[in-house]
Amino acid sequence: MSENQRRPITARRVILLLVVLAVLLVPIPTFHTPHSRDVVIDASQFEYSPPRLNINRGDTVNVTLNASDVVHGFFLDGYEIDSRVEPGISQKFTFTADRSGKFRYRCSVACGPLHPFMIGELVVGPNEPVWRASALAVVAAAAVLLGARKRRMA
Amino acid sequence: MKTMSRESPTDEKRFDVLGRMPRLRRMVLSRAFQPVLMLLLLAPFALAVTAGLLGTSAGNRNFGIVFVWIVWWALLMVLLVPGLGRFWCTVCPIPAPGEWIQRRGIIGGVAKLRTLGLRWPRRLRNMWLQNAGFLMLALFSTIILTRPSVSAAVIVGLTGTAVGMSLLFEKRTFCKYVCPIGGFIGLYSMVAPVELRVRDAQVCVDHRSKDCITGNENGYGCPWMVYPGKLDRNLDCGFCTECLKTCTMDNVVVNLRRPGTDLGKPVRGKRIDEAFKALIMLTCSIIYPAVLFGPWATVKAWAGIESLGGWLIYAAGFLAVTLVVMPGLFWLAVSRGQKRSCSGLTIRQAFNEYAHALIPLGLASWIAFSVGFALTNGSYALAAISDPLGWGWNLFGTREAGWTPYLSSTAPGIQAVILLCGLIFSVRTSLRVGFRHDPSGATTMQATSPVAVFLLACTLALLWLYLG
Amino acid sequence: MTGKMGNRAALVVLVLVLAGIPASIVGYQYWLRPALADHRVVDIAALVPENGGFSPDLIRVGVGETITLRFAADDVAHGIAIGPGLDIDLGQIDPGHVGEVTLTPDSPGVYTYYCNTWCSPNHWRMRGILEVVDPTAAGAVGAPPDPIIEALIAASVDIDAKPQLAEGISPDRPNGEQKLETVEVPPGLLDPTWRLSHTPAEGLVALQAQNPEVADDVLTDVTAYLWSEPTPTVEIKELFAKNCAACHGELGAGDGPAATSTLETPVAFADVAWFRRGDIWYAKIRRGGMGTDMPNFGTLFTIEETRLLVDYLWSLSFGES
Repeated sequence: MSENQRRPITARRVILLLVVLAVLLVPIPTFHTPHSRDVVIDASQFEYSPPRLNINRGDTVNVTLNASDVVHGFFLDGYEIDSRVEPGISQKFTFTADRSGKFRYRCSVACGPLHPFMIGELVVGPNEPVWRASALAVVAAAAVLLGARKRRMA
Repeated sequence: MKTMSRESPTDEKRFDVLGRMPRLRRMVLSRAFQPVLMLLLLAPFALAVTAGLLGTSAGNRNFGIVFVWIVWWALLMVLLVPGLGRFWCTVCPIPAPGEWIQRRGIIGGVAKLRTLGLRWPRRLRNMWLQNAGFLMLALFSTIILTRPSVSAAVIVGLTGTAVGMSLLFEKRTFCKYVCPIGGFIGLYSMVAPVELRVRDAQVCVDHRSKDCITGNENGYGCPWMVYPGKLDRNLDCGFCTECLKTCTMDNVVVNLRRPGTDLGKPVRGKRIDEAFKALIMLTCSIIYPAVLFGPWATVKAWAGIESLGGWLIYAAGFLAVTLVVMPGLFWLAVSRGQKRSCSGLTIRQAFNEYAHALIPLGLASWIAFSVGFALTNGSYALAAISDPLGWGWNLFGTREAGWTPYLSSTAPGIQAVILLCGLIFSVRTSLRVGFRHDPSGATTMQATSPVAVFLLACTLALLWLYLG
Repeated sequence: MTGKMGNRAALVVLVLVLAGIPASIVGYQYWLRPALADHRVVDIAALVPENGGFSPDLIRVGVGETITLRFAADDVAHGIAIGPGLDIDLGQIDPGHVGEVTLTPDSPGVYTYYCNTWCSPNHWRMRGILEVVDPTAAGAVGAPPDPIIEALIAASVDIDAKPQLAEGISPDRPNGEQKLETVEVPPGLLDPTWRLSHTPAEGLVALQAQNPEVADDVLTDVTAYLWSEPTPTVEIKELFAKNCAACHGELGAGDGPAATSTLETPVAFADVAWFRRGDIWYAKIRRGGMGTDMPNFGTLFTIEETRLLVDYLWSLSFGES
């Protein structure tokens, strides 16, 4: 490959790098004032109700956790909150949703065969990770396609 | 990237592993190499089956579930297949009893085989049975993954089938054409950076006695019914190392290579079975996280066979998506690309060839799935090793080790990176196929971009399942 | 390693692995382990009653004999306890775990081991009997008579009669405490035994007779205060939470998570308190409610615990929480 051919590739790479950095780092503005929210979560074999919780970043979440059939647990990914709840005795805890993204809550007390898959989702919005990752996927696919336009691959 | 743009893949650098590591070479060349590894693996295998049949029905405290579906599965999908290709097939104990009966011995038994040695019917010499077997397991996977006794029954069933087939049919017919696990290991082993090949194919052509097929005093003829001289992709090779032992010309080597070298090569014959294997595996890797890790309890209950009606809905949906919807969408993508290309491929051929592009993303998707499951539930292994049957034993003092998800805040990020790598790898593979049929590159973009869009759509769906 | 020798060695290893591993597991668990123990070890499987409850559910042990009970939960978490006289609480045992206790009972009797964590709609059926027999004493051991229940039966009180509902009564307990000094309380109302066998409604009537000039709502408050007088202890609140709340609700409103699965809607204490006698509550707790899903707790709670529980029910009824 000659010097002439290498230059435009380098320029392209710089542009690609800038685009990737932009996708990863451009701040997403939010116009949300944090407030306190009360949430009741019911655990039963093998589901949580609600199965998916949407809250805004910065909110303070007051959780009341109930179990309706057998002993269950509640482990929140990312926030590492763990709680154990038995039917009739509710549990209360509070946390501040200071990280955006999706965090699964999972049963932490074996409760039957499907226990490992007893999962709910807390989405702290705006869900920056998924948007950035998706944009990155589009950029990656486009970059490989366009970058290969004149390259012999096989 | 650099190697790709500057060198043609055929003369790519390869690293002869055994040539540089004489001690390893001596081990591999010993006839005891594979049997000893199998025997070693038979111990946890026997423990897993015993625990599954007799131990607690709480899967998370049963060695038979924890060490099969968390530890082994994660090792297989995250390390062994992407790193060493078919190496699991080298050590897998499932065909061992059958093979040793065939050979009337474990280490270098007699040459006369105790088997009917029937040949496998020509119509079945493809991956369709493996596809069907995998789909069968997949339909019941929610049960198999969570019920120790069912899990043990499946393992015993596979082993029994392997023994039965060893008595009837020649060599590793079970592994090559029936084993539902061997099917996807073979498919994804094409990504691995390790291969067993001949140094110089001409040496094989000129070699009269073909010991690699007939076997000799140093080893058996290829149990996988492969002629090493024509071996050009990992899918066909069971990595049993016999040809390394039997080759009198020192022509068989184990290479380190650039990952994915087997992908995008010309597909011989009508291998729509392999294309479907790739589609089924990719589709399952999307359905699994949705069903098992998703918040939709109804679907989970269907998959868990809480009612027959629910399961039938699930099974119908599952099969429709894996066998009709996804293949249909992929067909549309390929045919749309071919309409605007001058490759001269029929859509059928193009379908089979471009299916290779699904392999890296499919593997990445399985790695992401397995990483998530292993990080979340890997801590169960500590307790299960001390109390394998949930009987209150405490062999290593770790019985009370609790359930602790590892890296729960970084796991989604790790999964996203894995998926993005898979996407890039897959799009590049589709381009490699495209360029091979269109050396000028004039219409490659047109032919490939619909496939790339299909791959991107799958990736976005996965990203939303894991992060969204 | 090649040749006959290696082959034979491999065969030995194969047999050791395939037969030896299962054999040593079973041999250790069912033969060696009991053989090594210097006293009897009983393995008890703990499953929800739908799947068999406790098995075995009857264990006989001699007075002075040392025995180890190993409870293995297999399906969901169970709380394992042994009732009055032995007073053992092993806490919750999660599936796949084993909880064990070694004891040497020194007095003959019938003790109940039971699940004290809600585990299924039939949770309360999950019980077993530990019978401690004295080989020297003849005759079966019977439960000692319960004076309060005997008295009810002697007075022909229908323990299972449907309670009258007291609608719209929400007395102000703190107000009752303040006003206590200003009213004249008949001696009966100050006697816990009298209160136990009378309804608050009857108490109110007695108060009204003594204090005709005082407003009814003040007397209502005072009655409520008197009936719920002893401040419930933490232990008794816990007893209620563990054994009663799943049906009757955390605050006794009849709205526990299992309330929908019972034959009749569980009693909300505030609704029936005004026309309910404490000894009937006592009897219901100890012997269960006939024709309802109210289980009997007579073998699980001591008489004293039951009395305190009844007091706590009044507190729940009259707004103490």
